[in-house]
Amino acid sequence: MDFLLSYLALASIYVMLGLSTNLLVGIVGIFSVSQAAVFGVGAYIVGHFLMAAAPMPFLAALAIAMLCCITLNILVTLPSLRVSGDYFVVTSFGIQLLATAVFTNWTAGTGGASGMPGIPPPDLFGYQLQSTWQLMALCMAGMLLACLCFWLVMRAPFGRLLRAIREDERAVAAAGKSVLRAKVSAAALAGAFAGLAGGIYATFLSFIDPSSFDLDASILLLTMVVVGGARTLAGSIAGPFLLLALPQILTLLDIPTTFAATARQLIYGLLLIAFMLFRPQGLLGERL
Amino acid sequence: MHPGLRYGLALLASLVTAGTAAAETIHLGAVIPLTGPAAVVGNQELRGIQFAIESANAKGGVHGNKVDVQFEDNQAKADQAVLLFNKLVDLQHIPMMFVGYSGPTLAMAPLATRKQVLLVNAGAQADKLSTASPYLVNTLPSTSDEVKVMVKYLAEQGKKKAAVLYENDAPGIGGRDDFVDLFPKSGGTIVAQEPVQFGQTDYRPALLKLSAAKPDVLYVVITAGMPSLVQQLHEMKPDFLVAGSTFMADPAAIADPASNGIVHTQVQIDAPPDLAAAFRKRYGADMDFFARQYYNAAQITLTVLDRLVAENKPITGKNMHDALFQIHKFQGLIPMEFNSNTATVPIGINEMKDGKDVTLRQVTAQ
Amino acid sequence: MILLQLLINGLVTGCALGVVAISFALVYSTTRIFHVAHAGVYTLAGYIAWLLLSHGVPEVIALAAAALVCAATGALIQHQLYARLERRGATHLVVLIASLGLLAVMQNIIAAVFSPNILQFPVPWANRTVALGGIALTYAQLLTVLICLAAYAGVVWFAHFTALGKRIRAVASNPFLAQITRLQPNTVYVYVVAIASAIVALPGVLVPLDLGLQPYGGITPLLTATIAMIAGGVGSISGAFLLSIVIAELQNLSLLAIPGEWSIGITFFIFVIFMLFRPTGLFSTAR
Repeated sequence: MDFLLSYLALASIYVMLGLSTNLLVGIVGIFSVSQAAVFGVGAYIVGHFLMAAAPMPFLAALAIAMLCCITLNILVTLPSLRVSGDYFVVTSFGIQLLATAVFTNWTAGTGGASGMPGIPPPDLFGYQLQSTWQLMALCMAGMLLACLCFWLVMRAPFGRLLRAIREDERAVAAAGKSVLRAKVSAAALAGAFAGLAGGIYATFLSFIDPSSFDLDASILLLTMVVVGGARTLAGSIAGPFLLLALPQILTLLDIPTTFAATARQLIYGLLLIAFMLFRPQGLLGERL
Repeated sequence: MHPGLRYGLALLASLVTAGTAAAETIHLGAVIPLTGPAAVVGNQELRGIQFAIESANAKGGVHGNKVDVQFEDNQAKADQAVLLFNKLVDLQHIPMMFVGYSGPTLAMAPLATRKQVLLVNAGAQADKLSTASPYLVNTLPSTSDEVKVMVKYLAEQGKKKAAVLYENDAPGIGGRDDFVDLFPKSGGTIVAQEPVQFGQTDYRPALLKLSAAKPDVLYVVITAGMPSLVQQLHEMKPDFLVAGSTFMADPAAIADPASNGIVHTQVQIDAPPDLAAAFRKRYGADMDFFARQYYNAAQITLTVLDRLVAENKPITGKNMHDALFQIHKFQGLIPMEFNSNTATVPIGINEMKDGKDVTLRQVTAQ
Repeated sequence: MILLQLLINGLVTGCALGVVAISFALVYSTTRIFHVAHAGVYTLAGYIAWLLLSHGVPEVIALAAAALVCAATGALIQHQLYARLERRGATHLVVLIASLGLLAVMQNIIAAVFSPNILQFPVPWANRTVALGGIALTYAQLLTVLICLAAYAGVVWFAHFTALGKRIRAVASNPFLAQITRLQPNTVYVYVVAIASAIVALPGVLVPLDLGLQPYGGITPLLTATIAMIAGGVGSISGAFLLSIVIAELQNLSLLAIPGEWSIGITFFIFVIFMLFRPTGLFSTAR
C-alpha cells in the first residue's frame, strides 16, 4: 500500500511542477530547462526552516518558499523578455547549471552534495502528520489546489490574454495590453506552483540533495509536459502520472536488469522524438 | 532442562521440519544505481551479488531454498530510492536489500527503521551511515576510519604539509572534511584544497594550483577518473607524496607505471584467484573492489539466511537483523566482525609499485 | 611558471572548444536550428575512434573514419529528423525538444553498448610529455592545438573561398531568397550538418584521447561552446573561435582567484549577465 501511496504522492508533486512548466513553456512559450532549479529552491527553503533552531510551522515555511520562488522565477524569466528565443535557451541551461552549482557548493545553506537529511514531517495547525496516508493526502491536496488555481486562471480573462500572446504577441501589444506584465504574472504563478511542490517534496521525502534538482530533472519535466500535452490541465496531470509509472511498467517486462536501466532513459528520449514528430500536442494537449 | 539438550532437541526438530518443509524461493532486493554516471559502480555491485547468489543456487541454495535478488535502479537519486524501497517492501514483502551510494541510502534509512527491513551497504562510506538506522549495516569502514589510518601513517613518514584534491560530491566532501579535521590533530597543516567534479577528467588546473602551495603530501579523494589523474600527476613530475583511500584502487591506474609510489589505505578484500578467474569468465570484466565487496556482503547474507532456515525462523527483516548481530563474526572473502552497525575489518596501507598494489602493513580499524 | 602552464592548458582546451563552437555555429546560422544533439555526435566520434583503435586500426585512419561516420550521422539527422519536422511546420520549441530527445537516445545507446565507464584510448604515445621551456605538454594536447587550429583555418577558407562555402553563406543570410533563387536550401542544410558533424569529430576524438572517454560528458562543452558562439556574435566564425579560447582561459585562470567548484558556475553567471546587457554579442555581423 505504501508503494502506491508514495507513487501517488510523487506523481502529485510532479503534477504541480508540470503545471508550472506548462505555464511557462506551453502557454507563454518561454523555453525553460530551469524549472527544477526553482523546485529545488522551494525544497531547500522549507527544509531549512523546518529544521532551524526555532522551527517554523510548515505552512509558514511553505509561504516563504513560495514567495521566494515567485521572485526567483520572475528574475529567471526576465532575460527571456530581452533576448530572442534561441539565446534564451542557453541562458536557461546556464541558470539551471548555476543553480546546481549553488546547491552542491553552498554547504552552509543546503548541506552541499551530502544533502539535507532528517526533514521532519509537516505539522498543520498543531496536528502532526505522520503516516504515509496523511502525507499522501497532503500532496494530493497541494495538487488539487494547484489544478484548481490553474483552471480558474485559464478560464479568466488573464488566461485568454496569455493564449492571445501565444498566437500573436504584436497584435496583443497593439491592442494596448501589457505583454510584459502578462508574461511576468505567468512566470510568478509558475514560480508559486514550483515552490509549493518543492516544500511538500522536502517534507514528504525527509531527505533532499542536489541530484533531484539537476538538469536531468528539468528535462524530465519537459518530457512530462510534452508527452502529457502542452497547455492543458489534463496534459499536466497525464504526463507526470504516466512518466513516473514508466520505470515500474518496465520492470514488469522481463528485460535484463543491466539493459533495462539504460532502456528507460532511451525510451524517454525516443518518446520525445516520437511525440515531436507525430503528435506535438502530446496526449491531451494543444499544439506546442 | 540442560541448555545443550534443549539446543539439541531444537536442532533435531528443525532438521525434521526443514526436511519436510516445501522449498520456497527467498526473495531479496537491491536498490543501486544502474544508470547515469554512478552506473559504473552500480553495475559492478550487481555482478558481485549476482555471482554469489548464482553460485549458492547452483549448490542447492539455502537448505534447498533458492535465493532470488530483485535489482532496482535508483539512478543514485534519493526520491527514486524511496519509491523503490516502498515498492519492494509493499509489493514483494522483501525483508532485506543491498544498497549502495550514501545519498539514497540515507534517504531509505528512516524507512528501514520504521518497516524493520535490513539494509546491507557494502559500497558507501559516508560517516553518517554508521548511525543512520539500527537496520542499516555497513560491511566496510567509514571514510573517517580510513582517514585515521592514513593520517597516522603520514605523521610517521614526517609529512607536515598537505594539499587535498577532492570530488565535489558526498563521498569526496566527506573524505575532505575528515582529513582536514584529523591531519592537523597529528601536527600537520593543510596548505590547499581543490574540488573537482565527478566524472571530470581534466585535473591539470587543480593540480597546478595545489602543487603551487608546495605540499609534501597530496591527499586525493575521488571515486572516478583515477587513470587520468595518475597520468596527469606523472606529467607534472611531483616532488610530493600522493596518498588516498580505497577509492584509488582502480586496476587500470595500478597497472599504469605512472602510478609508482602512490600510497593509499585499502580495505583489505581480495578474491582468491580461481574466483576472480571464474568472475572474469562470466562477465568479461575484472572482479573489482565493489564486485568483491558485494560478493562478500551476499555471502554474509547467505550465512544469515542459512541460520534462520536452520532454526526454522521466518525470514523477516527483524529476524535477519537479529541473526546478523547474533552471529556477528563472519567469514566471507575476508573475516569480518560486527560489534556495531559498521563492520570491523582490517585496513591496509598499500603502495602502487611496478603495476602492482603492494601491502606495506595492516591495521585493524578501531 | 604556474601561470604560463595554466595559460597553455587553457589554449589547448580553448582550441578544442573553438572547433565545437564553430561547427555548432555553422549549423545554427544556416538552419536556425539549436542542434543540441550535436553533443551526441561529438561523443559518438570518440567512441568510433576508440572502437577502431582497439582493433588495431592506425590512428590517422581511425580519426578519418570517425569524421566520416559523424558526417553521415549528421546528414541523417538533418534529412530524417529536422527536415521532416520542418515539413510539418514545427515550431522552434518542438525542434529543440526533439533534438534533446535525440541527444538522450544517442548518449544512452553509447552507454548501453560501451558501458558507462570512463574508457582510455589504447594509444601509449599520447601521454608522453614534451617539455617546452618551463612547461610540459602531452602529445595529445599538442595534437589538439595543431589540428583544431588547422580546422579553424580550414573552415574560414572554406566559407570564403569555395563555391559550396559561399552558397552556404548565401543561404544563411537569406533563406527565403535562397529558396526562390534555386540555391536549394534543403540540400544545403544536409551538407552543412554533415560538414559540421565531421568537423566536430576532431575535438570529439582528440579531447578524450587526452582525458578519457565517457558517454554523458558532451553537453557541458556544447553549452560552453554555444556561449562562445553567442558572445562572439552569431555568424562570426572567428568570433566564436576566439571567445572559446577566452572562456577556456577565464575558467583556468579563475582558479587562482576563486575556489574551483565555482568556475563553471561563474562562467554561466557572466553569460547570463551578458545576455541581459548585450544580447547580440561582441562581433555580430549586421542582420
